[in-house]
Amino acid sequence: MLQHGNDAEPPRPPRRRSVLAAAAGAATALAAPALLTGCGAAGSGGGTLKFWNFYGPEHGPDPAVNRQSDWFTGIVAKWNATHRAKIELVYTPPQIYQNGSKLPTAFAAGEGPDIFLLSPGDFLRYYNGGVLADLTPHMDKAVIADYGTSLASRTVDGKVYALPMEVEPLAMFYDVGAWEKAGLSEGDIPTTWDEMLDRGDKLRSNTRAGLIFETGPGYYQNFTWYPWMWQGGGDVLDKQGDVSFDSKATRQALQLWSDAVRHGIAPRTLPAAGDVIGAFQGGNVGMWQQGIWNVASFKAAAPNFRYGVFKLPVPPGGRYVTSLGGWSFCANAKGRNPEAAAEFCGWALGTMEDDCIDRMVDWCIGAKSDIAPRTSALERGAAKGGYDSAVMKTFKDDIFPGGRPEPRYPPVVYKAISDAIQGTMLGGDGVAGAASRAAQSMAAYTKSYKGASLV
Amino acid sequence: MTSLTAPRRTAAADTGSARTGRRPLSRKHREWIAAALFLAPDCIGLLIFVGIPMVLSIVLGFFQVSGFGSYTWIGLGNYRRMFSDPLFWSSLRITGIYVVVLVPLLFVISLGLGLLIKQKLPGIGVYRTALFMPYVISLVVVGLLGKFLLDDQVGAVNRAMEAVGLSGRSWLGDPSLALVSLIAVTTWVMMGYYMIIFLAGLQEIPQEYYEAAKLDGAGPWTTFRNVTWPLLRPTSFFVLLMSTVAAITGGLDLVYVLTQGGPANSTSLAIFYIYQQAFVFGEYGYAAAMGSFLVLIMVVLSAVIFALTRGGRFDDGE
Amino acid sequence: MASEATRLARRRRVSSRFWLTLLAAVVSLVSVFPVLYMFISSFKTRAQVTDGRLIPAQFTVQNFVYVFTEVPFVRYLVNSFAVSAVITVAALLFHSMAAYALARLRFPGREALFATIFSTLLITAPVVLIPLFLVVGQLGLLDSYAGLIIPAIFNAFGIFLLRQFYIGLPRELEEAAVIDGCGHWRVYWNIVLPTSRPVLAALAVFFFLANWNSFVWPLVATNNPDLTMVQVGISSFQSQYGANWNYVLAAATVAALPMLALFFAFQRQIVESIKTSGLK
Repeated sequence: MLQHGNDAEPPRPPRRRSVLAAAAGAATALAAPALLTGCGAAGSGGGTLKFWNFYGPEHGPDPAVNRQSDWFTGIVAKWNATHRAKIELVYTPPQIYQNGSKLPTAFAAGEGPDIFLLSPGDFLRYYNGGVLADLTPHMDKAVIADYGTSLASRTVDGKVYALPMEVEPLAMFYDVGAWEKAGLSEGDIPTTWDEMLDRGDKLRSNTRAGLIFETGPGYYQNFTWYPWMWQGGGDVLDKQGDVSFDSKATRQALQLWSDAVRHGIAPRTLPAAGDVIGAFQGGNVGMWQQGIWNVASFKAAAPNFRYGVFKLPVPPGGRYVTSLGGWSFCANAKGRNPEAAAEFCGWALGTMEDDCIDRMVDWCIGAKSDIAPRTSALERGAAKGGYDSAVMKTFKDDIFPGGRPEPRYPPVVYKAISDAIQGTMLGGDGVAGAASRAAQSMAAYTKSYKGASLV
Repeated sequence: MTSLTAPRRTAAADTGSARTGRRPLSRKHREWIAAALFLAPDCIGLLIFVGIPMVLSIVLGFFQVSGFGSYTWIGLGNYRRMFSDPLFWSSLRITGIYVVVLVPLLFVISLGLGLLIKQKLPGIGVYRTALFMPYVISLVVVGLLGKFLLDDQVGAVNRAMEAVGLSGRSWLGDPSLALVSLIAVTTWVMMGYYMIIFLAGLQEIPQEYYEAAKLDGAGPWTTFRNVTWPLLRPTSFFVLLMSTVAAITGGLDLVYVLTQGGPANSTSLAIFYIYQQAFVFGEYGYAAAMGSFLVLIMVVLSAVIFALTRGGRFDDGE
Repeated sequence: MASEATRLARRRRVSSRFWLTLLAAVVSLVSVFPVLYMFISSFKTRAQVTDGRLIPAQFTVQNFVYVFTEVPFVRYLVNSFAVSAVITVAALLFHSMAAYALARLRFPGREALFATIFSTLLITAPVVLIPLFLVVGQLGLLDSYAGLIIPAIFNAFGIFLLRQFYIGLPRELEEAAVIDGCGHWRVYWNIVLPTSRPVLAALAVFFFLANWNSFVWPLVATNNPDLTMVQVGISSFQSQYGANWNYVLAAATVAALPMLALFFAFQRQIVESIKTSGLK
């Protein structure tokens, strides 16, 4: 097509030159970005430990967020001032930290953070993967008793691998204004499931959901559903570790959620795209099963909003139980300096020093609104008046006792339960079939499961 | 001139050698070198940043990967598990429905919009921008807007339906509707994008052909069938192939924000299930195996489309 | 006779223009409505964001104030702009070169090479993420601008689109140049490249936009907050258990405006017909 052979002499040199010029240009274009490598952010030295978290350093319009960030930066500053190994905080927005690909990618590539926050639901996966360092040598012996049941799901063979800084019970939040408008009073606070459904029915309208259960699939939805099963005396696994999911308690818990949705009392999707404060303020909520963390959020973002809390109602013949969540500090056993990382976790949350206890108190009643996992911190916080407000008092005295920590199930078990909940709540599946299907797939899995115990 | 030790010359080289006395490259070879230089940057870059990771991920499919640094060879173990995993097959089925509905829908709508926008109508620049606007918004925000507008109680869609007497539906909470909503939102986002591609392709058709058709007295449909459609074939091929690949591998972001695979797994596309296995359950080896299987499906589909269209060249013959 | 026919034809033309304009307006309205909703809602307070109203009951600009003062949003915008711009320019250059070779130059294995290049589009992104992260880490590019820019340049999409476009180009232009004695590079640089302005303009918009809105790779490849790009920055308005959707929408509006401006500026280029004058 291009007839070079017939060219006269003169045009040839420009062609070769221009091709070479093109090649040089391409090479430069490729090389230039490589030179930018040096222009990247000056990374910290290899010795600094990285603490990945979703609280700080962060500055936002929400004062609660700022207080929480300050708590984290304060701890790290104090440690850096008094210890040789330095720590640097790396902030990731919460949604991404908890559900996204950043943390898993880093771990999979062997570049996981040296210190990080862990949820109870993920504990087994990390422990079985061998990345949790033993924190027990860096804790005071008395602290283990001080923690009590909060450490159960974070302990394997008597050794502690994660230290929680908070305990977050679930309860029912309700809109006082809507309550009164529906002709209900303090005495109408439900204590049984039927009463709860009835109140929800009275509260709902075209723009208001009567009773809200979590709708999106995920670890969190499971977490909010477990107490309804536990209340009936049911459990996923019995004391020997065998699957006991297919039970009357399970079926009635699944039925509760299914009925609520079917009768239009509970919505199929969360109002305000899941923003609790915004939904309450917008008048879209009657009752919502939520956690204690909202107390701080309400105080910061909607201090004049009238809301109340009550403990989860029970089924006939059932016993009160609620779920206890809460994140914990962990050290990466495959990190750069597991010893120093584990020492930090122990120093921050696991000694009997006044500083340490005050630190936890400060988090639970100052920066956030949580129950302290350590008895000493809880007492001190109560003495400081952190649990004096009506709502916090209800949480501490009414709701928290009898709570059960979030279990640590591996992904296959989680998914089986999640599918059962989703299928019955939103898919119209029958509860008997869903429960037995889930139990079967879990049984098949647990037979070949090798790792830390699931109970 | 020639000696016994001189290298052979091809016929094509003879034309130049007589003048300069050295052996120049033939026209053919010069074209090869030029092609190599033109292609070098992209080929090297693609090899390093796409080729190698692809190969690595295919290899990963034969390992059990804990996600924390331990790799155990298990041969076809992941593939055996995949074939007996009902969730995987149901995710393939959902992906199939998604692709079969979305691709033709997008194709027709964006082609129609492209033809519409090509006209010189008053204010056409504004309409063009309006149609492209959805693509400008990041998918995270699109998902958020979707949640607001499709909200069961106060969403604009249900409000509009109630205003005309229909009853609102739970667009994102009803397993029989969620996939439809997902397809609708995806179409809304992507129609402006493919419209622009069609537009660029339409602009390539020289005006003379249209003028000739008009002189022959052809109406709009005949013009389209005999002038526009045949000359648009390279672009149509592109849109068809790219939208199919995008539908199979690209639905992740919206599913992640809108439904997280729910309700009741009704929007659990294959790509979402793979993501879940990799990043939520830490089963990288298993996810890699499923990913390789998905790639295989796409390779087969693309090969079929390529074969039917002679590699997108149609009757080009060059 | 002739004037009657022309009058009829003119009337038909006017009425068809009217219907087409109406259709365009209606479709545009449907398309733009959610974006309008986003824009309007960014002036609402947190409680009203989901009330579904088109006119804010309480109009406020506080959201925008917060977006710019509480986080270094300008820095995020600058980062995104710089990264996207470099990627776009590099990608346009490399991809058009490669596409030209694949469309017009003849060499053995051309179609096989194109098929191979095309096959790099058939990846499942979540699975490839970690190997890519490993490769980039090995090259020492993590946590740097280079790590954000270089991997994002190489994507076969642009090569594919341009190759289709170059296949469809009328040959007369290039043949005329060849008769004048142009070499490959001159034909590419002086003839083919300017002629492909519509599709290059479209690609410039696409590349810029794709990188402006990119989320997963910048998130995974960088830890340093100074390198944060706009989309990751927007997600920081979601706290652990709640979300200030009003700030998110305000931030999203700010992030979208430069892109809309870019598109508006480029759209005339995209719609320009290729110049075929001077051939006859």
